[in-house]
Amino acid sequence: MSRFIIRIKKRRWHYAYLFISPVLVFFGLFRVYPSIQTLVFSFFKVNIIAKKYEWVGLKNFALLLQETDFIRAIANTFIYTFYIVVFSVFIGMVLASMFSSKMKLAGIFKAMYFVPFITATVAAAVVWGYLYDPKFGLFNMILKLLGLPGRHWLTSSKEALGSIIIFSIWKYLGYNIVIFIAGLQNIPDAFYEAATIDGAGPLAKFFRITIPLLAPTIVFVVIYNTILALKVFDQVFVLTAGGPAGASTVVVLELYEMAFLHYRFGYAASMAFVLFLFIMIITVVQYTVSRRWEVTY
Amino acid sequence: MSLESAGRIAAKTLLYLVLAVFGVLMVMPFYWMIVTSFQIPENLIAFPPKWWPQPPTLEHFQAATDQAPFLLYYRNSLIVAAISVTCSIVFGLFAGYAFAVYRFPLQNFLFILILSTLMVPIQVTSVSLYILMARFHWIDTFPGILAPNFASAFGVFFMRQTIKGMPVDLIDAARIDGAGEIRIVATIIAPLVKSVMATVALILFIDSWNDFLWPVIVINSERLRTLPVGIAFFKDPYRISFGPLMAAASIATVPTIVVYLFVQKFIIKGIATTGLKF
Repeated sequence: MSRFIIRIKKRRWHYAYLFISPVLVFFGLFRVYPSIQTLVFSFFKVNIIAKKYEWVGLKNFALLLQETDFIRAIANTFIYTFYIVVFSVFIGMVLASMFSSKMKLAGIFKAMYFVPFITATVAAAVVWGYLYDPKFGLFNMILKLLGLPGRHWLTSSKEALGSIIIFSIWKYLGYNIVIFIAGLQNIPDAFYEAATIDGAGPLAKFFRITIPLLAPTIVFVVIYNTILALKVFDQVFVLTAGGPAGASTVVVLELYEMAFLHYRFGYAASMAFVLFLFIMIITVVQYTVSRRWEVTY
Repeated sequence: MSLESAGRIAAKTLLYLVLAVFGVLMVMPFYWMIVTSFQIPENLIAFPPKWWPQPPTLEHFQAATDQAPFLLYYRNSLIVAAISVTCSIVFGLFAGYAFAVYRFPLQNFLFILILSTLMVPIQVTSVSLYILMARFHWIDTFPGILAPNFASAFGVFFMRQTIKGMPVDLIDAARIDGAGEIRIVATIIAPLVKSVMATVALILFIDSWNDFLWPVIVINSERLRTLPVGIAFFKDPYRISFGPLMAAASIATVPTIVVYLFVQKFIIKGIATTGLKF
């Protein structure tokens, strides 16, 4: 036996490659290859039926910049992301800090807050579509009971995106609360005890101890919600399908319609590439920020 | 003294009140969905709204099940979730073991390559994946729905982290006893990491169960529709009342919520630990 094979056997390299091969094969084929292909396709005009690929250079991207629908989709996605992140962090942190392990009903509350998160987005959105109905929906009925004028919700180009944002805050709030509660529990009680002895009030404790020590959790929640929001599709598809008249369209919906309703795959690939760039920027920011914020107790 | 304790009680009551109000807001949509699905049509357009179905009716459920094959949707969702979770867990266990225990060429490169797939979600790859699936003749088939989810980077990562934290002596002892590598993973490692496997499996199951974008792209025929796709394309038979639609939504969500109530502690704990470490 050659020395090389002896070394392989001794270090069990063959087992290592055998054990990782299923993951590598499936990921290589169905994840990595399509990722690269998307990048390549974004420089082509793709005709899937005739199997013709025509190099067009940066023409797809140039077209994107002229397309008002896509510009609006990007703007909407950013607006959506901004509100989701701000409200998720703010409401999530405030509600999470109200929980304490000594609280009797904490378990029941947590279970209630978490129900929307485990339900399929599509099914939950179908229910909200009914709640938002201007005529028979519960929201307008409650407003009427309170003597307030009803709103148009999803049927108005001014209110549609906001209505989707409210739905999504509701949908993901439970997740954010659970993460924040876990983050809060990681802060040792000794810090608070020491602060109490030093005469610190609840506000001082919140800003001097909770916020700095919770920073890694806040960064995680911001990044998680940002990436989730950039990928938003299900609720927009069900609630408004981007309407009325494109007022609530988002990037993934435009991409989906371009590829699978209009069969313009090259063009859709260039949209996907733009989405990828956004996600990559966020991930790089996460990497640098989380390194700086690394906290040891 | 008594004033202070009265203040404390008031603050505590306020705390409970705020949490309870938000809690009610969180579950209210589901309550209204269920009430509506049992409500007789006249009551659905009544003002003020009827908060309780009186008298309850099953006619919306009849209409909904006449309209769409929900049992078939459930079966499809279960098949997809079961296969993708099982494959992801088994492949993740072996790959996680390899990355944690062995030292081999290209190890770090391959590990980072696997993790980097998280940066390129299905929303980005769907366009090209669809073309690849067309070449495979996998459009509108179970393998087509499953293709991107046979393995999970998340699963590999967590298995590696967990196995890395275990004592090496254990594996060495098994090797001295003459156990093969595959047997070590299957009979020694697997039982030790079973709680992590269960957590990862649960999270992957929820993801698969709720997955919509890729299934809606790759499925054309009704017989392959998963629950989310089925409910999204549910056509209200009358278009005048929301009864049948809410009955359909109830059929799709209530069983999941009931199962969730039994395992909620486990799920919430799993999300809290994995979310923070990821």
